[in-house]
Amino acid sequence: MDVQSIAMTVNGREYEFSVGTRFGQVPPEETLVETLRRRLELTGAKQSCSEGACGCCTVILNGDAVPSCMMLTVDADGADILTIEGLEDPATGQLDPIQQAFIDAAAFQCGYCTPGIIMALKALLNKNPAPTEKEVDEALSGNYCRCVSHYHVFDAVRDLIGAGKEGE
Amino acid sequence: MSNYNVEYTDLQYIGKYMPRKDARDIVTGKCIFLDDFSVPGQLYGRSLRSPHAHARILSINTDKAKALKGVRAVLTDSDLPENWLLGWPPSKRPLDSHLRFVGDCVAYVAADTVEIADEALDLIEVEYEVLPAVFDGIAAARPDAEQLYPGQFAGNEIPGGFPPFQRQGLYWHLQRGDTEAGFAESEYIIEEFMEYNKMPTPLAAEPPQVIIRWDGGLDFHCWATSQGSGVFRQLGSFIIPGSNLVVETFNVGGSFGNKHAMTAQFICGAALSMATKRPVKVAMTKTEQLSAYEMRLGSQMKMKIGVGKDGYLKAVKGFWTVDAGAIGNTTQGQIGVGLGEAQIIGGKCVNWDIDTALMATNRIPAGIARGYGGMELNACLSLLYCRAMEAANIDPVEFYKKNYISAGDRFVWRDGLLWKACDVNYVPAIQAAADKFGWKDAWKGWGKPSWVSPDGKRARGAGCAILGNADLGEDNNECIVRISPDIVGDSCHVVLHMDVAECGQGQRSSLCKMVAEILNVPYENVSTTSPGQGNHNPFALGLCGSRGTITYGRPVCMACEDLRDQLFKLAEPKLEVPPDTMELVNFGVRSKHMPERFVAWKHLIPEMLSLVGYGKHVETFGIPACLVFFLEAEVDLETGQTQILRVLSGSDVGKVIDPKSLESQFHGGIGAATMDSALFEETILDKQTGRNLAFNLIEYKWRPFNMFPKFDTSILETPIPSFQFKAMGVGEITGAGSAPAVMQAIYNATGVHVTEYPATPKVILKALGKI
Repeated sequence: MDVQSIAMTVNGREYEFSVGTRFGQVPPEETLVETLRRRLELTGAKQSCSEGACGCCTVILNGDAVPSCMMLTVDADGADILTIEGLEDPATGQLDPIQQAFIDAAAFQCGYCTPGIIMALKALLNKNPAPTEKEVDEALSGNYCRCVSHYHVFDAVRDLIGAGKEGE
Repeated sequence: MSNYNVEYTDLQYIGKYMPRKDARDIVTGKCIFLDDFSVPGQLYGRSLRSPHAHARILSINTDKAKALKGVRAVLTDSDLPENWLLGWPPSKRPLDSHLRFVGDCVAYVAADTVEIADEALDLIEVEYEVLPAVFDGIAAARPDAEQLYPGQFAGNEIPGGFPPFQRQGLYWHLQRGDTEAGFAESEYIIEEFMEYNKMPTPLAAEPPQVIIRWDGGLDFHCWATSQGSGVFRQLGSFIIPGSNLVVETFNVGGSFGNKHAMTAQFICGAALSMATKRPVKVAMTKTEQLSAYEMRLGSQMKMKIGVGKDGYLKAVKGFWTVDAGAIGNTTQGQIGVGLGEAQIIGGKCVNWDIDTALMATNRIPAGIARGYGGMELNACLSLLYCRAMEAANIDPVEFYKKNYISAGDRFVWRDGLLWKACDVNYVPAIQAAADKFGWKDAWKGWGKPSWVSPDGKRARGAGCAILGNADLGEDNNECIVRISPDIVGDSCHVVLHMDVAECGQGQRSSLCKMVAEILNVPYENVSTTSPGQGNHNPFALGLCGSRGTITYGRPVCMACEDLRDQLFKLAEPKLEVPPDTMELVNFGVRSKHMPERFVAWKHLIPEMLSLVGYGKHVETFGIPACLVFFLEAEVDLETGQTQILRVLSGSDVGKVIDPKSLESQFHGGIGAATMDSALFEETILDKQTGRNLAFNLIEYKWRPFNMFPKFDTSILETPIPSFQFKAMGVGEITGAGSAPAVMQAIYNATGVHVTEYPATPKVILKALGKI
């Protein structure tokens, strides 16, 4: 039998999956968010709208923030993926500065959409450590938050960028 | 009550920002929401939904679905007991041969996976007889209207009143004073019709979900995305009479009052779990949430309003038609609250006659949403008040200051009883907010823009609205606070045993702050039990209507004071000083005057045991809240597009418990189908099919990050006689007045009355006579 397999790196760990429709295999129609949540138990990314509109499932794939509900797992073959669970330093437990800034600014309410927002910001700041307010607005425009954590998220970003500038 | 009258001053935690207990879990993705959780042996439940707004099932064949590998049960109408009924009064079979809205449930399937269950739904063969449908409350009342509940609700009118809210008599008609005498005193009288009828949705990010496990008899263990397991249990036991529910909740991914009982999901899970003897997870998709889950109620009213020469409201008389959609889902309670809130705004008026009718239509059922009837009522009534103010040429801020309820004013609340406002005066809060917003400069008069672009193509207008509720003391709640000495050392941990959900308000952490404050222990040493009830927490109804601050805060403080009193008594023989000269410090009791006299709690409590305090809150309705909402909008007169430029939300909260959490509640006021239901949020009804065309997050319009206006708050802290920390909650009403404020601003910008919600570009251009 011709077994097709795919491989990807998630939060620095390598995974290999067998593709097919038998029990335990990754079927071709499985989305990345399903693989992350159901197989790897990385449940920080949420599956909310399932059509790429809300950003709750955002992860960083090869450096870009992507809605993981809009990508087939088979298409992520060879990808380097970072999820919210991979931001914290696994050895020291130290939070990523974005995570700490979110705590300091209370930049969440229910917290359901927060992992997606943090990952979208992380991708932005990796590429552009000192974005303008407009660039932040645009980077987050695909992230749905109904509690309205937006203003505190902006506070957190201001704190982050300000702290970065002071440290220079 | 405590034996010792302690004033809580010099506070360590209250009023200061403390990161929430779950903050680290939230930002690291470790926080558990229901969809991250499963129960061993769990199956997946799905519903086949009606494609028609009104139809009867002529035949149904489930053979092919049942034969599909991995399908464990397929249920139809005849499989459910006859006394399992949705709605109030109990009226609608959960699976029905008479279907009343697009999305009504035809059959349930339980299968090993969601995908198999969905495939099985496609294999169910149904033949429908399509019936005429009605989509409007007033139209449903016409004599020739199609009848949704023949033999049950004559003329489609669902009986008024909700017994659990109105134990001393059902109530749906506000009658006070003499409206004719009031109109006789009025210098200015208007009479107009207004509607807020597009049924937008609170639309929490996390769709409604439950896992139900049948435990034999009528016992069910439920895991639910519910913000109130007390409500879940109560309404669950209405729809399955005699049932006993144990409910556990998780962090809830947004609710806004909208994810409480989830009766339709509960009954689906319960039926499938009984049929399969396995736990069943029922998770709505986003499309189902937008197509078949509870929306805001529809509101239509014709009202006559009289205002005196002195600017006081003299009389209000009219009729409020409420569209419940296909199922009256305790909507009667929202009518009671709406009528109450009308009187909070018009607190000085003594002449009222507002009759109501709750109508069944073929729309998606209405449900509970932030603002709870008051929001939908005031989306209409507030604009009608504006018409009267305009007739009298009164500045709305002056009108609100004159008319808003204050100490001693009477009002009929949702229980149908006459209450008296406690010692509150919101005039300073209204004025402070107006000053901070710059209302004096922004408001140029009725129908007058605050600014017009040099080319005349864009105009700005300011608007303001006010709202208040009076159910901050509603519900009986209780708790236990337990001091648990550490096994090693003389420290202790304190556990609050209370059913406190977390759906974004941070109430679990705020209550821990109260415990830490009264017992004088580190915040880090205080924790709360997992939310839920039935067999593991004392009773609490749920965090509804911003009541948590008072109705949860009071029991928690009482329980801590109970503990303090017990500790003082236990310490008396050891310290040999009177209890009223003792204080709590360093997990011990100390003499205030002889600090060397100290005894650790651990040495007052028998080894390995705990010391337990108890507290409770008993329902009262005498505390009205107030929220005044200002905004400035810019209308493009060529395109009809409206932008909100800035917002200011103001209140007097008594005392700030946590500044950032409170600010978040103010921000949240513009979410959850409030402000934007005046601009672009709506369910778009296809009247040919009865379908909501805005059935996903692309079609349903919402405000993204790059569209948020400047936001400011004005918060006063005048202590109120609520509970130990003199505070109250305001989240319920932070956005409830925002929609009419937008409409007012649009009028002031354009000089043209826009009466249709939402004021989309098309609506505005139509009002301007350009299309």
